[in-house]
Amino acid sequence: MKTTIISILIFCAFALTAQNAREISHKYMNATEVGDMEMISTINIYDAKGNVRTRQISTASRKFSESTKMLIRFLAPADVKGTALLVYDYEDQDDSQWIYMPALRKVRRIVSTEKGKNFMGSEFTNADMSRPNQQDFDYQLIGETTLEGRKCWKIKATGKTDALKLQNGFSSNISYIDQQTFLCYKIEYFDMSDKLHRIQYITDYKKQTNGKYFAYRMTMQNVQNNRKSEMIVDKFQSGSKLPENTFSPAMIDKF
Amino acid sequence: MSNAVIVRSSQSERRGNLLIIHHSLKRLMKKIKTSLFIIRHRWWVLLLTGIILLAAIIPLTNTKINSNLESYMPDTMLSKINNKKIGEFFGNDETMLLVLENEDVLQPATLKRIQNISESFMMNDAFEQVLSLFQTKNIQSDDGMMVVTPVVENIPEQPAEREALRESIRKNDLAYGLVVSEDFRYAMIMLTTDQQMPDVELMEQIHQIIGKYPGNEKVYMTGQPYLRTEANDKIALDLMVLLPIGLCVMLIFLWISFREFKAMILPFSVVVFSIILAMGLIPALGWELSLIGVLIPIMMIAIANNYGVYFVARYQEINYYHPGRNIAKIVQEVIAYLKKPMILCGLTTIAGVLGLVVHLLIPARQMGVVTSIAIAFALLLSLTYIPALFSIIGKSTKKQYKQVNEGFFHHLLSHVGKLATNSPKRMSIFFIVSFLLLSGGVFKIHVAPDSNKILPEDHGFNRAIRIADEHFGGSKTIDIMFEGDATDPALLKRIDEYSHRLEQNPLVGRTASLSMMIKKISMALHEPGEPGYNEIPEDNFAVSQYLELYGMSADIADFERFISFDYMHTLMTVQYQAASLPDVEGLLQDISEMLKDEPQPYVVGGASLIDKEISQSVEIGQYYSLLFAFLAILILLSIIFKSVTAGVMGSLPLVFAVFCTFGLMGWVGIELNIVTALLSSISIGLGVDFTIQVFWRIKTELMYTDNWQKAIDKAVRGIGRGITINAFSVMIGFSVLFLSAFPFIQSFAFLIIISLFLCLISALALIPALCMILKPKFLNDQRPTSKVKCLTSKV
Repeated sequence: MKTTIISILIFCAFALTAQNAREISHKYMNATEVGDMEMISTINIYDAKGNVRTRQISTASRKFSESTKMLIRFLAPADVKGTALLVYDYEDQDDSQWIYMPALRKVRRIVSTEKGKNFMGSEFTNADMSRPNQQDFDYQLIGETTLEGRKCWKIKATGKTDALKLQNGFSSNISYIDQQTFLCYKIEYFDMSDKLHRIQYITDYKKQTNGKYFAYRMTMQNVQNNRKSEMIVDKFQSGSKLPENTFSPAMIDKF
Repeated sequence: MSNAVIVRSSQSERRGNLLIIHHSLKRLMKKIKTSLFIIRHRWWVLLLTGIILLAAIIPLTNTKINSNLESYMPDTMLSKINNKKIGEFFGNDETMLLVLENEDVLQPATLKRIQNISESFMMNDAFEQVLSLFQTKNIQSDDGMMVVTPVVENIPEQPAEREALRESIRKNDLAYGLVVSEDFRYAMIMLTTDQQMPDVELMEQIHQIIGKYPGNEKVYMTGQPYLRTEANDKIALDLMVLLPIGLCVMLIFLWISFREFKAMILPFSVVVFSIILAMGLIPALGWELSLIGVLIPIMMIAIANNYGVYFVARYQEINYYHPGRNIAKIVQEVIAYLKKPMILCGLTTIAGVLGLVVHLLIPARQMGVVTSIAIAFALLLSLTYIPALFSIIGKSTKKQYKQVNEGFFHHLLSHVGKLATNSPKRMSIFFIVSFLLLSGGVFKIHVAPDSNKILPEDHGFNRAIRIADEHFGGSKTIDIMFEGDATDPALLKRIDEYSHRLEQNPLVGRTASLSMMIKKISMALHEPGEPGYNEIPEDNFAVSQYLELYGMSADIADFERFISFDYMHTLMTVQYQAASLPDVEGLLQDISEMLKDEPQPYVVGGASLIDKEISQSVEIGQYYSLLFAFLAILILLSIIFKSVTAGVMGSLPLVFAVFCTFGLMGWVGIELNIVTALLSSISIGLGVDFTIQVFWRIKTELMYTDNWQKAIDKAVRGIGRGITINAFSVMIGFSVLFLSAFPFIQSFAFLIIISLFLCLISALALIPALCMILKPKFLNDQRPTSKVKCLTSKV
């Protein structure tokens, strides 16, 4: 009897912890959900020797009735300037993507099946660029710590299945979420062997007009190959007035 | 001539010279005094021997094995420099190939197994890249879209789905013939490792993953980490089991030859002690034990045995003719007689072995140093430790020696001696003809292009290589790195042209390059017949945009093996097969010819180039070592006997043994590889030892007779016993290695036995025959007074 009560208590404690962890994580996502936006950003990709490859891109994102549509256009360097990527992000089906290559003057539809792979050759993955589906993960509050003077929760998110882990490109991650603001300042990603693989530092949060926060600088450090990538937001505008037809494959080459 | 006649003859001569002996005794006693020192201080000698042994055993516990031959190659080696340059931009990963065999690898169970295994490898951070049917991409155009998907997205359960997949694979040249064979009997999983994990651990992980997903498919694997662990574990284990058995057989043979326990055990203990010292010196000097290290105990067994056996043989001779002499006296006389020839033998053997220090391979140089020191140690022990122990143990009865003296060796040597002295010209002609016939095989000698043959033909490692050669375009690779803007269409077009040219070469299975990938993307972006389809774009912006497109569709990391981070270097990989070193050299020559007008700087590298240069180093290094050894021995013999004729004559058995051994390798088809090439150092060590002993004995015999035939005949019977026991004990000991599961060890045993036999017959038949014909002055130039010295030691 005594054992049963203890077991129930332990189970309840775990359930509560999981619930709290999921809630904390949800609050973080909620605090940073900016919705429609336009921005210009620079991606610096460093190899282990410190060589850098730079890409400047403009991004516009608007939510429409059936999907969120995003248009990414390369501004620099010269050889890829004008290349544009159009993404339709559906809730209940695979994304649709088109690319415009100025050298060919052609729009082509592309299919990406690899969320866990690198985004534009950087240490960020395609999965890092989109909001995670909370249903795919188990959450656990594993502790508290102080990070640069901020008291943070350490929330561990583990992929529910091996397939999901492979798809996302990591088996689990630990997010450091500020107990005051619910903003995340650091995420550690663990590889399929549960070894630390990448560390993401998120800084320069700025409060937007809609009350949400947006991070102006993200750095991803790959501790296994010593490569590093950083994404710096040069210009940000919450909301977008671009009409829906701007986000169509037929218009992708018109800028 | 019967033994009784010989004994009567020697007794009569001794009576005739008694007066001279008496007058010379004082001089003799002075010489014997040095040997008295050892007997007086015999306990100190034993204690010192024990201390040296203990000092050698302590570092043995720190022995580190490093069978990666590349790591020993000098950094100045061109292939190493080139691979380092390529590694700066494309990594220094090693490739492991796993082959699964089934009647049809597209069967669901087999595909499931491939999927499980390859995904497990992907989840293990010991492996950098994994490429199988499930990771290889299919770049295709589908309704105006470029679609990049894994070759197998879903495992087909129905026959119709399976056939559709088969058809799709046939059209995908990124997969067909690369991760699946054209007959769909074999599937390949390619793994790359960054060489951070020790080989043993890495192989354990691979075996664990394969074992975790059992199936009916046969699994073979190949790759340098596998070769190194197999070489370390199985060959070392085989030698660890067989060598002690061989040593026991050798012991039994020594007992049969000497019929005396101490005569058997003492030379043997010298061998063991010198092996301990040689092996202990490697860690003590801060070196690591390489694959070549297996030769060190073998070399010591063959060489270090000699001095102790000469001591015992001489002791038994004196004991037989002077049964009344006490052990101390006999030991003193043995040392007095043997000290000089043994030291001279030891020095020339060391000079011969030291030839290895000019070898191009670092482990061969290290072997030269440690074996030289250990030979010196064996020599020292034979002149100190053996006499000291002999004087403690006491002497045996004359009967024991008499039995042996009338045995097989005695008759054999009498016959050989007579043959050499009665028909020296015929004997010489026999050797010249044999030399011409056997050494002719040198021109047929086959230099191994790699170290793969150290494992048996039917070993999974070599099966995987054969499958890769026959069904996957080849098991070897050459990398060509071009420097300059990798997106330059002109460069990419030239690379494309090079690929076509190389694929015309029958040895080349396939090539892979950025050009191939760019053309593949162009096929997904254009319709067949449309300009740009299956073509390199005309401007470099388009190439960059193709790369960005791929990065958005799939993973730009797929390109990392073809283009560097800064887009300023591009790599072309040539997959080929080669059965011999000339195959590799021929292909490299073609590549060099092809690239002679290439305007961009380029570097040619790849794992097989390292193998090639190691093989060349083995070949050329051995020429240097042999040349050095021959010159050193020629000079030393000329100095020792104060005659250039002695130098030339003494080198002849070495030339005979070395060339005939290599010739036989050519005739029999044994490849010249890193281990077999070094056998010549053993031949030199033994050949020079036997030769000096024979010269010395003939010279000694000629001190009291002017009859060359008689002197040579006696010398062959006298010293011949020790030499024959030496040679036969080692030959019989090594014959146990024929029981090895590795043909490599068997052929190695064959070569050692052959080279020992050739050294033996050269010393006991060729040298006596040549002496009989030439009657060289250096053997018969002693002053009358010094003739007397020898009489006391003569029996």
